[in-house]
Amino acid sequence: MLNKSLIEDVLNAALSTGGAFAEVFIEDRLNTSIGMVGGKVEKAISGRDYGVGIRIYDGIKSVYAYTNDSSKENLIRVAKETATAVKDCEKDIHINLMRNHINNIHNIIIPPNDVQNLDKVDLMRRAYCAAKNYDEVISQVRVRYLDYEQNVLIANSEGLFVEDKRVRTRTSIEAVASANGEMQSGYFGPGAHMGFEFYEKINIEEYAKEAARIAKTMVFAKPCPSGKMAVVIDNGFGGVIFHEACGHGLEATSVAKKTSVFTGKLGEKIASEVVTAIDDGTIPNAWGSQNIDDEGTPMRKNVLIENGILKGYLVDKLNGIKMGMPSTGSGRRQSYKYAPTSRMTNTYIAPGKESLEEIIVNTENGLYAKYMGGGSVNTATGDFNFTVSEGYLIKNGKIDIPVRGATLIGKGPEILKKIDMVGNNLDYGQGMCGSISGSIPTNVGQPAIRVQGITVGGRKEER
Amino acid sequence: MDMRQLVKILFERGREKEIKDMEVFIQRKKNLNIRVFKGEIDNYSISDENGLSFRGIYNGKMGYSYTEKLDESSIDILIKEVIDNAKIIDSNDAEYIFEGSNDYKEINNFNEELENISNEEKVNFVKSMEQEALKADKRVEAVNYCIYGEGMEHNLLINTKGLDLENKSNTAHAYISVMVKENDDIKTGANYGISNNYRDFDFKTLSREAVHEGISMLGANSIESDNYPIILRNDAAASLLNAYSNIFSAENVQKGLSLLKGKINHSIANSIITLVDDPFMEGGIMLQSFDGEGVASKKKNVIEKGVLKTYLYNLKTAKKDGVKSTGNGYKASYKSVTSISPTNMYIEKGNISLEKMIEKMKKGIVITAFQGLHAGVNIVSGDFSLSAHGYLIENGKLSRPINQITVAGNFYDMLKNVEELGDDLKFAIPRGGGYIGSPSLKIKELSISGK
Repeated sequence: MLNKSLIEDVLNAALSTGGAFAEVFIEDRLNTSIGMVGGKVEKAISGRDYGVGIRIYDGIKSVYAYTNDSSKENLIRVAKETATAVKDCEKDIHINLMRNHINNIHNIIIPPNDVQNLDKVDLMRRAYCAAKNYDEVISQVRVRYLDYEQNVLIANSEGLFVEDKRVRTRTSIEAVASANGEMQSGYFGPGAHMGFEFYEKINIEEYAKEAARIAKTMVFAKPCPSGKMAVVIDNGFGGVIFHEACGHGLEATSVAKKTSVFTGKLGEKIASEVVTAIDDGTIPNAWGSQNIDDEGTPMRKNVLIENGILKGYLVDKLNGIKMGMPSTGSGRRQSYKYAPTSRMTNTYIAPGKESLEEIIVNTENGLYAKYMGGGSVNTATGDFNFTVSEGYLIKNGKIDIPVRGATLIGKGPEILKKIDMVGNNLDYGQGMCGSISGSIPTNVGQPAIRVQGITVGGRKEER
Repeated sequence: MDMRQLVKILFERGREKEIKDMEVFIQRKKNLNIRVFKGEIDNYSISDENGLSFRGIYNGKMGYSYTEKLDESSIDILIKEVIDNAKIIDSNDAEYIFEGSNDYKEINNFNEELENISNEEKVNFVKSMEQEALKADKRVEAVNYCIYGEGMEHNLLINTKGLDLENKSNTAHAYISVMVKENDDIKTGANYGISNNYRDFDFKTLSREAVHEGISMLGANSIESDNYPIILRNDAAASLLNAYSNIFSAENVQKGLSLLKGKINHSIANSIITLVDDPFMEGGIMLQSFDGEGVASKKKNVIEKGVLKTYLYNLKTAKKDGVKSTGNGYKASYKSVTSISPTNMYIEKGNISLEKMIEKMKKGIVITAFQGLHAGVNIVSGDFSLSAHGYLIENGKLSRPINQITVAGNFYDMLKNVEELGDDLKFAIPRGGGYIGSPSLKIKELSISGK
């Protein structure tokens, strides 16, 4: 990408007004995305992102600039212009960068750029056929494929100079079922920090059929009743409950400003003792993993909650200064267009002892959320919401009829205390998480859990 | 390198590789973002970016590519990718490059004054906005987001069929979210403004309304689950319409992903509803004279007195339905393929004030905000179930704040059950795509679940 002496010059220019820290983030990324509707490829686009982000901070004052023009003159000009926004005194400094070598734990076997487009389309077509042929009520299927190779170079005034390569691919399937003038959809979107070998490890047809099965089940489902009830949330993407209800509130982004409901609660019991929660960016080839975060700090396994006790936050460098804590390798950003901040990676509730069957049998009445959709949270109040994409009523300890249109709402701190059973079937689901440093790939995960008395939003009666 | 020179070489080499028609979309953007926390600049970001989007017809199919490295070194790869991507297209609905419309309305959506105001002045604006909120009420604990941002966009659309169009626009936004606290009860309130006229931003109004919104929610709790008459306040109504704006896209209709299929000239909403798509709307951030494919923009009624009059078309979908493009072809950025989007689309306002609407209601709920709109709405079925907050109305008065409830219904049914329109049109925070507005809406009833 750019050579060391040029970057040293840029960092020197960035600190020429007396800033305490400067950083350069260079990104060169190749993207491919293909869209298929009704079994036909409609759109295919590929391209190259290339840009440089320069960040300077002094105390808690932070400035950021980015540009696509990486010529020396332009970068020095941008660095100086940015520097004047920090302070306006003169300072002569000199930075020496030392190359850091990273330990690559995410092996890529088949780089997506070495794969022919036709092979990618073939994969999509297999997914389409599996979903479409699942049942005659399946009226439409959309398949989207994407891959990218992101090469980054991160250097800072502490002497760091490190490069990393992130390769990710994902295929999402949306099946629509139509019956009696109604339409419902089912979705699955497996992805990984992997090359095209990912599709040898998973069976895309199984995911496609599952999307179709969800759509079919939901089109014949009755509207979910509303009220407070016990909810059993199954494994995998169900982990979105922890992500929304708690994870965002543990990010230094809001903790450092004391605007999170979890501020100042380290060492306190914030969840029921069956809850142990972890954010682990080191899981080999997982969707939310990377060797280093977007500030160049190696990613780690961070225990957030252990047996109900709050053990740690997710911290980036700048917020770490405000909080007096070291970075936990959690500084992430969508691209060079964003200053990094603390974010989640692969976040999950650790497995417990019970099987899903045992949890259901022990739940007299309630809701079984087999699959969850997305959600959001207000980190200041802890109010969260998320949707159930496939749900069933539980009656007398047995799974009863399917219900649709359920939304779960509550307050993060309260819900954590109401988790009273944790299953043994840990799994993960892939998502894109949006926050102030952009949209980034994150895994959510959990085994099946049971939450007592959560507000389920549905319909009073059939319309 | 001169952009036009680069385009010339790109077209020449593309022709040598047998790409028939070609088009280039070049976007230059400059952004400024200022975020303040406790009197200090928490984030200050400036940027200057360029991107080039290239598309072309190879063997009858359209391929796309783009780059952020705008120099000759990118040309060969742009061409190769367009060819590779065109090769896999098997849709029968042909995309094509447009030779241009006869007339383009002249539009000025660039306010030079915005660029002439110093960044110091803008930083002071954000600091003042925060200060104003902090001193407005002692229960204000913190201002968790206090932001001013602006963007300039300069687009060039050039193709081998002779089209050569250019536009330049700028826009600014301010956003404030406050955190208020009374005993252990924490609530937030937010407010925003969007304009390219700096004088439209009044830090006092923005912060006071955000504080008022937060304070008025203190002590909120849930309510008995039931069906209630509902007033969707203008901003909440606009955000819901925004979430469903894609149902009017001809692409979704043709693909069987919108229940509006076959509904042209049918009544789909209460007869008081007229939904307008107006690319020439004064103050609209989607103010434009041509769309993402170079088609002249035009104003039209999508719903007229409850009757669906047209879908939103781009060239490809219009050709398929044997109609003309409505000028709603959309290119979100140089990194995107062409799709469909509303421009400035809004429900025409009525003539009753929100206050009056509340006064007339014996018992019901005003919804002031929805949460989780990206997840809790099913675009395909129209069903929604959304976390919300607002106020309980008893005997024509706001009696108390409500939160921890969900509002469930079906968007298509709701359009038919709108009984009154407020006189207070407001636009939602854009989420990419159209700029969507609505007045406050009185709805016959929606299903609320709470206690």
